[in-house]
Amino acid sequence: MRTDFHIRPSRLYLGLMLALMYLPILFVIVYSFNASKQSAVWSGFTLDWYRELFRDRSMFEALRNSLVLGLLSSCAAGAVGTLAAVGLARAKLFGGEAMAFLSTLPIMAPEIILGMVFLAFFSLIGLPFGMLTLVIAHTAFSIPYVFLMVKARLAGLDKSLAEAAKDLGASEARAFWDITLPLILPAIVSGMLLAFAMSFDDVIISVFVTGVDTNTLPIKIYSQIKTGVTPKTNALCTLLFFAAAALGLLSAWAGSPRVQYKRTQ
Amino acid sequence: MKTQKKRNRGTAALLLLSLFLVAGCGGAPAADPTTAAAATTAAATTEAATEAAAESTTSSAAAATSAAASTTTAAAASATTTAATEAPASTAAASALADPALTGTQLNLYTWEGMFPQDILDGFTAETGIRINYVNFDYDETMLSKLETAQGGDYDLVIADDYIIETVIAEGLAQKLDTAKLKNYANIDPAYQKQFYDPNDEYTVPYGAGVQTIVYDPSAVGIEITGYADLWDPALANNLGLIGNFRVINGMALKVLGESYNTEDLGIIRAAGQKLLELAPNIRLIKDDQLEADLLSGEIGAGVMYTSQVFSAVVENPELRVVFPKEGIGFGVMAGFIPSKAPNAGAAYAFLDYILDAARGADCFLYLGYYSTNRAANEFIDVSLKDLLILPEGFNVNMEMIQNISDEATAEHDLVWTEFKTATGQN
Amino acid sequence: MRRDRRSRRVALLAVLPMYLFTLAFVIGPLAYMLVLSFMRRSGAWGVEADFTLRNYLHIGEPVFLATFWQSLRLAFATTALVTLIGYPFGYFMARLTPKWRNRCMILLIVPFWTSSLMRLYGWMIVFRANGALDRLLMWAGLTDRPLKLLYTYPAVVVGMVYALVPFMIYSVYSSAEKLDMGLLEAARDLGAPRSHAFLTVALPLTMPGVGSGLVLTFIPSMGLYFIADILGGNKVVLVGTLIQEQLMKVHDWPFAAALSVVLMALTSLFLFVYRRATHSGELEGLV
Repeated sequence: MRTDFHIRPSRLYLGLMLALMYLPILFVIVYSFNASKQSAVWSGFTLDWYRELFRDRSMFEALRNSLVLGLLSSCAAGAVGTLAAVGLARAKLFGGEAMAFLSTLPIMAPEIILGMVFLAFFSLIGLPFGMLTLVIAHTAFSIPYVFLMVKARLAGLDKSLAEAAKDLGASEARAFWDITLPLILPAIVSGMLLAFAMSFDDVIISVFVTGVDTNTLPIKIYSQIKTGVTPKTNALCTLLFFAAAALGLLSAWAGSPRVQYKRTQ
Repeated sequence: MKTQKKRNRGTAALLLLSLFLVAGCGGAPAADPTTAAAATTAAATTEAATEAAAESTTSSAAAATSAAASTTTAAAASATTTAATEAPASTAAASALADPALTGTQLNLYTWEGMFPQDILDGFTAETGIRINYVNFDYDETMLSKLETAQGGDYDLVIADDYIIETVIAEGLAQKLDTAKLKNYANIDPAYQKQFYDPNDEYTVPYGAGVQTIVYDPSAVGIEITGYADLWDPALANNLGLIGNFRVINGMALKVLGESYNTEDLGIIRAAGQKLLELAPNIRLIKDDQLEADLLSGEIGAGVMYTSQVFSAVVENPELRVVFPKEGIGFGVMAGFIPSKAPNAGAAYAFLDYILDAARGADCFLYLGYYSTNRAANEFIDVSLKDLLILPEGFNVNMEMIQNISDEATAEHDLVWTEFKTATGQN
Repeated sequence: MRRDRRSRRVALLAVLPMYLFTLAFVIGPLAYMLVLSFMRRSGAWGVEADFTLRNYLHIGEPVFLATFWQSLRLAFATTALVTLIGYPFGYFMARLTPKWRNRCMILLIVPFWTSSLMRLYGWMIVFRANGALDRLLMWAGLTDRPLKLLYTYPAVVVGMVYALVPFMIYSVYSSAEKLDMGLLEAARDLGAPRSHAFLTVALPLTMPGVGSGLVLTFIPSMGLYFIADILGGNKVVLVGTLIQEQLMKVHDWPFAAALSVVLMALTSLFLFVYRRATHSGELEGLV
């Protein structure tokens, strides 16, 4: 009885806050069905914007660029960050601490600074602005996520496991593949996932390092918000939202006790 | 541990889905090698004009044109029909002009996104056989640095703002025009010629003029506005929208003080800044893009905006009033020039002449929403829109172009502008 | 012994890619920013090698100092509100049953996967003249004409808090999740009132989460200029806005670099204080 009383106001608070979080999304979704181009007025239900969306190649090109960029940078960061964390955990290297700190600077500085330094630096060394500069910049802020997560995971690991394997005659590489990697895989994956999400949603850095004809989805949406959003953009974001929601449901279902139970059977 | 596992599964699903999407939207066009080859040459060209989104535009023309493109389609369409019925003569002239030697060549056109209606670009290619490689820049300065790098090569025709062209010419990056090659050269409105950036008309052909006006909604503003000084009226408290161009906005205060836009006297610029601070309580927002939408939706009652924004606002709501400020009028010109080492200057001449044609010029200005710099085009512009695209007869008193000024004066303007913006946030 | 040296070599090889990348694309650019901040602008876009303190002295202009103050003020306001809103959320969430905890987490993550810009745009729809909120208030009879809510300071604060509150929630949650509820119970059984038990047991134990939440909120909030741009109608001038304008409009790169150096110094100071206070650089929730 007592716990019931305790829990209710807190649940009310959680519900209210979640509702507030979904409020702007709700409006974006509602206005994707608005017949009028001006979002100030509601003038009837239509699916035209979805039809237009599927005809708009530039929108899908931006989506594709964002996905490619997110995948490339999170994979590069996954490899580089994991290797570095494993290496640093194995041996005390000269300047290792300092290097580890410096490599995490990209997520310890406000994004605008990264945008500014990349813009200045890339024009200094004459790299053409486009996908390449985007991937480099995004990899730079993706590495810390993977590195930090893997490092934390390794710190909590029992080193003697890999040592034991080696003592039993397993080669260095085998011990890594069979023992260490599976143990740190969750950290690698969640680091990469976070990196991907950050890359997929990044505006500030991308705006500075992109070329004239390489749009990512956030850049495209940013310029649309400034130059006038058509409900077409609402339509795209509605679809993205439902894709995210579907993934959320999927992972909830995959993780639900019933499915977990079946898996163990 | 369990949440960790769960997250993994989510990840795997997400990664799979993204791979799938990448394959879905990217894989298809590239699958066919011939399409892919064609795409490399063609995709970057004309399509870029229609589909590429405006970069975060602050440059006047780029910001304004994309806005105009979205709202003036109706007006442009009606004008195209009138043009089509009267056009045969000029079309014949153009086809006569088509030089067989140019057929199959490429015009590298370098300007902001959305400067030409698609029909004009397609029509040019159809009539002359010259492909158009439409490359866009976001800022005038980007264009300048690209052109400097290319040492006046790579591009055949560039359309940009007046002040940057002055620099381009000074650096020897533009070539002198042979006006004999432009049959329609006489169509240009002399009012926009012989300006500071090209005093002897040796290098440029004007393409559209921006004229600074005030636009307001009489039903949302309690006073009658006749000049810049009226914007300081307390009746406009928190009701005024401005573009983010500091030369234009600081210039309003300079005009109220009876000074020139181009003064290099730091004391006067400072005084204008002080005057501007008094305007802060009236400011509701400052932005370059889509300011007209805020006027149409009632966020603001009055605005000082780019010409094309005024155009699309009034097309949408004819009740709006456009005022030529009595203190004086600032204007700017966009113009085309041929870079000094243009790989295909012949194509550039052909294109310049093509758009100098009266009927096509009218189509372009209706699409752009900028004042017509082509006198012959004026008669092709719909009567209801004439006031917005053509200056009244004999209207050149009190007009002044915004020109390049010294670095010190620019820095002072910048400082004054930041002070002003900071003051608007104190409301 | 030999295996040890070999192991070092392997370790070095593994670390090498990140070393090289960090050297080339983190330290290199940052060093260039520092150098650039002492240079002089020249021409339309260019810079001239020089050693001048002019750019730093320029920051001393009252208006630029005011901009830094404005940014700090907004960052502090945002961080405070984020903490006030996010802490109870994270704490309550950790006290749900595992089933509801997971549901709640998913509900929290899904908006995070949707474009943050588009969510900002959603707020524009809510705030605009005759928009959703205006209509609601007019319908309720609380006001009879449209309030001008968009392009105001409060609108910017709402946007900032909205964008950053998830970070605080995750941090607090991961701290509170580890909390042994038995401790709270024990305190209660010993006769401590509920509020007292919370203040003396739960709050101190969740402070690491709050600390990393503060870092994860404060640092980005110093640089998120586009929210002030979109929801504030450009009237709230932040350091980020200044840097962006200097880069894209005024083309004074050295000055932009000097502004960035000062901004970087400010956030580093904040991080330094955080490290000193917590004796660790690890961020709860992120790691």
